[in-house]
Amino acid sequence: MSGVPLAGPAVRRRPAPPELRPSPYEPTGFWRALEGLGAVLLALLWVLPLLFAVWAAFHGAEDTARLDLDAPLTLSNFRRAWEAAPFARYFLNTIVLVTLIFAGQVVLGTLAAFAFARYDFPGSGIAFALVLVQLMIMPDVLIVENYRTMSRLGLVDTIPGIALPYIASAFGIFLLRQTFKTIPKELDDAARVEGASALQVLLRIYVPLAKPVYVAYGLVSVSYHWNNFLWPLIVTNSVEARPLTVGLQVFAGGDQGVDWAVICAATLMTSAPLLVGFLLFQRQFVQSFMRAGIR
Amino acid sequence: MDRRHFLAGSAAAALARPALAQGGPTEFSFFYPVAVGGAITRVIDSYAGDFARENPGIKVTPVYAGTYQETLVKVLTAHKSGTPPTLSVLLSTDMFTLIDEEAIVPLDGFVKTDADKTWLGDFFPAFMLNSQTAGQTWGLPFQRSTIVLYWNKALFRQAGLDPEKPPATWAEHAAFVERLTKRDAAGNVSQWGTQIPSTGFGYWMLQALAIEAGEVLANQEGDRTFFDKPGVVEALQYWVDLAQKSKVYPPGIVEWGTTPRDFLEGKTAMMWTTTGNLTNIRTNARFDFGVAMLPAGKRRGSPTGGGNFSIAKKATPAQQEAAFRFARWMTQPERAARWSIDTGYVGVSRAAYGTAAMKDYLAGFPAAAVARDQLEFAVAELSTHENQRVTKALGDNIQAVLTGSKAPDRAMRDAQAEAERILRPYR
Repeated sequence: MSGVPLAGPAVRRRPAPPELRPSPYEPTGFWRALEGLGAVLLALLWVLPLLFAVWAAFHGAEDTARLDLDAPLTLSNFRRAWEAAPFARYFLNTIVLVTLIFAGQVVLGTLAAFAFARYDFPGSGIAFALVLVQLMIMPDVLIVENYRTMSRLGLVDTIPGIALPYIASAFGIFLLRQTFKTIPKELDDAARVEGASALQVLLRIYVPLAKPVYVAYGLVSVSYHWNNFLWPLIVTNSVEARPLTVGLQVFAGGDQGVDWAVICAATLMTSAPLLVGFLLFQRQFVQSFMRAGIR
Repeated sequence: MDRRHFLAGSAAAALARPALAQGGPTEFSFFYPVAVGGAITRVIDSYAGDFARENPGIKVTPVYAGTYQETLVKVLTAHKSGTPPTLSVLLSTDMFTLIDEEAIVPLDGFVKTDADKTWLGDFFPAFMLNSQTAGQTWGLPFQRSTIVLYWNKALFRQAGLDPEKPPATWAEHAAFVERLTKRDAAGNVSQWGTQIPSTGFGYWMLQALAIEAGEVLANQEGDRTFFDKPGVVEALQYWVDLAQKSKVYPPGIVEWGTTPRDFLEGKTAMMWTTTGNLTNIRTNARFDFGVAMLPAGKRRGSPTGGGNFSIAKKATPAQQEAAFRFARWMTQPERAARWSIDTGYVGVSRAAYGTAAMKDYLAGFPAAAVARDQLEFAVAELSTHENQRVTKALGDNIQAVLTGSKAPDRAMRDAQAEAERILRPYR
């Protein structure tokens, strides 16, 4: 089943590179086995809901709750889910949305972080403190105010309207500033001696060195906005602007009860791009995370 | 300050619109939730299209807004930002909340002609209980329901019960349920006698039991609750005994959304749930089933439920008038009958049951008349100021009892204390 390899990163320890001496901190023997077993157990627990979703999605409604391996496989749940809402359009909307947000966050975050990390301008301390304050505020608290702003800008029910409140990301600015601070000032100075302008220094020195952070941050940002629900629900009214999560709602159940088979099919369908993306690039992601220090 | 200027500005702009609109149509948006599955959005779109053809001066934009709760969140957010949808379908029980937020207008001003008055007077009185307060009408019944008992005739026959005779009293219900529960030698249950779902609308189910025990949960003004009355505790005791004493009801929480599926799969022989499920069960059941009024305790009874049309306060008079005309058009007897047949909700007016389509339907499927007949015994659904918070306090305590972490009397005292605290400012 496609869910199993997912357990990979948690279960499989990468084979230790051939070293002259074994690391004194690596557990050995019994403890190593125990640790492995624990990891497998946790991974299994984690993957169970996904396995159930896969099971339910490929079987008829009457077999959803019966674990009979001979039960006939079917794709009809996917067909029914696909027909229940214009998912092709929702996919497009979500992709445009996460791209727009991430592009905005990268541009604004890089410029702001560079300024905070390397320039000493009047009020920089206060400005950075304000950015940090934004980290403390749940975006949900601002929903009414954001909605009012969007309606004044005439952006209610548009994709930019969903994206705009998230484009200046305090987390992104903070993360990039910390990364830029760790880059040796000597590289910066050397480039300036060679005659590079500020923008060139940023693009040639800082951005390439911070690449793992961009990758890690990109994953966090894209998966967050791929799954975000409340704000898009409130600010969108039409099929042309709604992202996948809001589109999924037609299965919200209500008075006719819940059809697990179709819900699981729809959920798998909408989360598939993220899952596949993660499986393909898992090594890069895990490494980026280790380097960037985000957990 | 600038907010007020902005509102004043937008109001002025909005007032200027009708003048501009003399040539063009009056436009308004209509938010509705769907509690009955995806295809219904197409039905509503087609209604809006039909209405537009008959009324070229008005353009309705229907917006599917999710569940009832999500629709309420959307409508209130938009209301607080000054641009709410003119017409929305919201839970009738949120009436006090909407009035307190100054989000909706009373509808009496729109009812002008004698024909209007006859139409308004024809809605079932049980539905108007949650639509009127202090002599004013704030909502028009649209997708309304009561709780009914569904029973699986095949399983009744297997258990040696008369398949045509549903339980009529609490005692009978408890006795039938005992016989309908199937256990293997180890005591594992393969088929439950009954399911009364306890998530989502747990307060609604408890209200049904409380009514049958002869109590009401709240006063008509919506500022006082009676959760700790002996009858309410007795009702909750009856419910929890099914699970914990006679073990004929699944232990713990029973999910609202999966109860119909359990019934369709024969995992439960009876279920208590909304009439809004009728068409779903009728389409998908592969066995004979019956629909009955809820069994009686001291009396018969069920709360009503479901959604009303409300008209927003922050809209132009022209939009409000247009929205009212659309709501009136949607509740005409033929359309109310059609909606009832398509979904299972109760036709909202007596006239709906006088239409030819409805008469044919009832002749072929008499079970559909049960919900209407039960209206005679129905009372208003629990509805108070800050309704969502009060019902949550009650719902949480019901679940605490069913999971065995609180005794019924203690839980109801806690719920009452919480409701008192929330409602005191409104008296």
